[in-house]
Amino acid sequence: MEQVGLAATADVTLWSLFMEAGFVVKLVMLGLIAASVWTWAIVVDKTLKFGKARRQLDAFEQVFWSGQSLEELYRTLSDRATSGMGAIFVSAMREWKKSFERGARSPIGLQMRIDRAMDVTLSREAEALEARLGSLATIGSAGPFVGLFGTVVGIMTSFQAIAGSKSTNLAVVAPGIAEALLATAIGLLAAIPAVIAYNKFSADAGKLTARMEGFADEFSAILSRQIDEKLQPRQAAQ
Amino acid sequence: MKTSLITSAVLHALVLTWALVSLGSPEDFEVSSLESMPVDIVPIDEFTQIQQGDKQAPKAEKSSPVPTKKPTEVADAQNIGDNDVDLKTLPKPEAKPIEKESTGAIKAEEKPVPTPEPVEEDAPEVTEEKPASEPATEVASLPEPKEEVKPDPKPEEQPAEEQPAENPEAEALPDRIPTPVMKPKVEQQAQTAKTPDRKNEENKKEKKKSSTAKESDFNADEVAALLNKQDSSGGGAKRAKDPTAFGGKKTTVGNTLSQSEMDALRGQIQNNWSIIPGMADASEVRIRVTMQLDRDGNLVGSPEVEATGGSEAARRALASGASRAIRKSVPFKGLPAEKYDSWSEVVVNFDPSSMLF
Repeated sequence: MEQVGLAATADVTLWSLFMEAGFVVKLVMLGLIAASVWTWAIVVDKTLKFGKARRQLDAFEQVFWSGQSLEELYRTLSDRATSGMGAIFVSAMREWKKSFERGARSPIGLQMRIDRAMDVTLSREAEALEARLGSLATIGSAGPFVGLFGTVVGIMTSFQAIAGSKSTNLAVVAPGIAEALLATAIGLLAAIPAVIAYNKFSADAGKLTARMEGFADEFSAILSRQIDEKLQPRQAAQ
Repeated sequence: MKTSLITSAVLHALVLTWALVSLGSPEDFEVSSLESMPVDIVPIDEFTQIQQGDKQAPKAEKSSPVPTKKPTEVADAQNIGDNDVDLKTLPKPEAKPIEKESTGAIKAEEKPVPTPEPVEEDAPEVTEEKPASEPATEVASLPEPKEEVKPDPKPEEQPAEEQPAENPEAEALPDRIPTPVMKPKVEQQAQTAKTPDRKNEENKKEKKKSSTAKESDFNADEVAALLNKQDSSGGGAKRAKDPTAFGGKKTTVGNTLSQSEMDALRGQIQNNWSIIPGMADASEVRIRVTMQLDRDGNLVGSPEVEATGGSEAARRALASGASRAIRKSVPFKGLPAEKYDSWSEVVVNFDPSSMLF
């Protein structure tokens, strides 16, 4: 009787496979589909953001090395929200300005404060770049295991059903296993892009951070020279 | 982030829909249908124990062939048929009797064709005798009988030629041809023939000359006389009287002893078997006797007694008792003679425990 029922529903479309799966397997599959959606959302988001960040860096570097006055540049940039190198530049200039307005005594202390301010901004910018890459890593590593869990549970239940049907006919055995394997398939489907995207984006974030660090060091050197030049006459005057 | 999430969700929805539509149900594998092979267990008795009968006849308890027509002539015949001699071949209905008649008619008509033969035979004689003094008279004498014969119907002409061919030889060479079958045929033909004696005498003279000249000449009638006229496909000489019933072409061996016949045989032995009651282990011994019998139920050689189970002493005692009992009960009675094939060598099993009181 049961065998007849199984044979009658022997159509193995994806939808019927999903609908015939047990509760746990369904939950696993839905979770994995959600993870896949999230992965691709991050991929799209990061692709856009990284492209934008790269363009901003290029544009800023062009403006910065164009020989424009730093004061003028600071005035144009401080008015609007900036990111990347612009933010680092603005934070350093803000610290510089504050220190000079109050009449800084020690050039070493000023240098340290400017560096500290730039480091904080740099780490904030790097963090923004690397945000959500962690979830990609998690999906990439845990996805196959979650899918495997769904498969094991599905095969277990299907074997129990086969034991109940008292038949080892392939038509009885096959649909249950096919439906269980669907969970692993979805797990891999979510995990593979996640792993690839994580590797690509973490490398890209590393490159951008390194570029910003380079700029910060360079700007720090420039400011240090400026400090020396500005404080020397003052000390000489005293 | 919100836009990218929506983008991703839409992307997934599209991919899943596409997957549901296009991946769908994979095509079933083409599996050539294997027919299951039914296995029947057929008892071989059906083929080994066929009784002679007729294939077209309805089924009856006892199968029997088509009844024969002739009265019984041959005693102790084994094979059923209408033949005069008991042959093992199966009787066959005479094939195409009309053709036989036609061949007979043709024979009578064809015979005149060889009539030129005597002319040819005579011709060399004439040529041989040409140097002789009187060729004209001899040549003239030959056509004379021919003219006399010609008005006669053709079949009559044939014996006239055959007779002289045989008669002179019977006279000239009486010892050479033992042809008892042929003689009545010749007489019949001789009766029908109305040939003048004078012509015979003339022919005799001539044929004597020719026979002496050609002694080794081939004579078809001699061969015909020597041929076996018995119809090989006539079947046996045993007559069947029962109405036709379903059965095989031939009786094939078959015929095992029935259980009651076997019991009767065993009983004869047991009656002469005195078993000492209370023998230890006697009930565990099994005796198996193999003996050869002739048609009268007498032993051929000595019976082979095989005892198994129980103690050595009990085995020996029972085995010797069994062979004594067999020797005492010979000759066995009540064994069906027609089943001799099945009891010419017979195996009898005994369970002494059933004979102990």
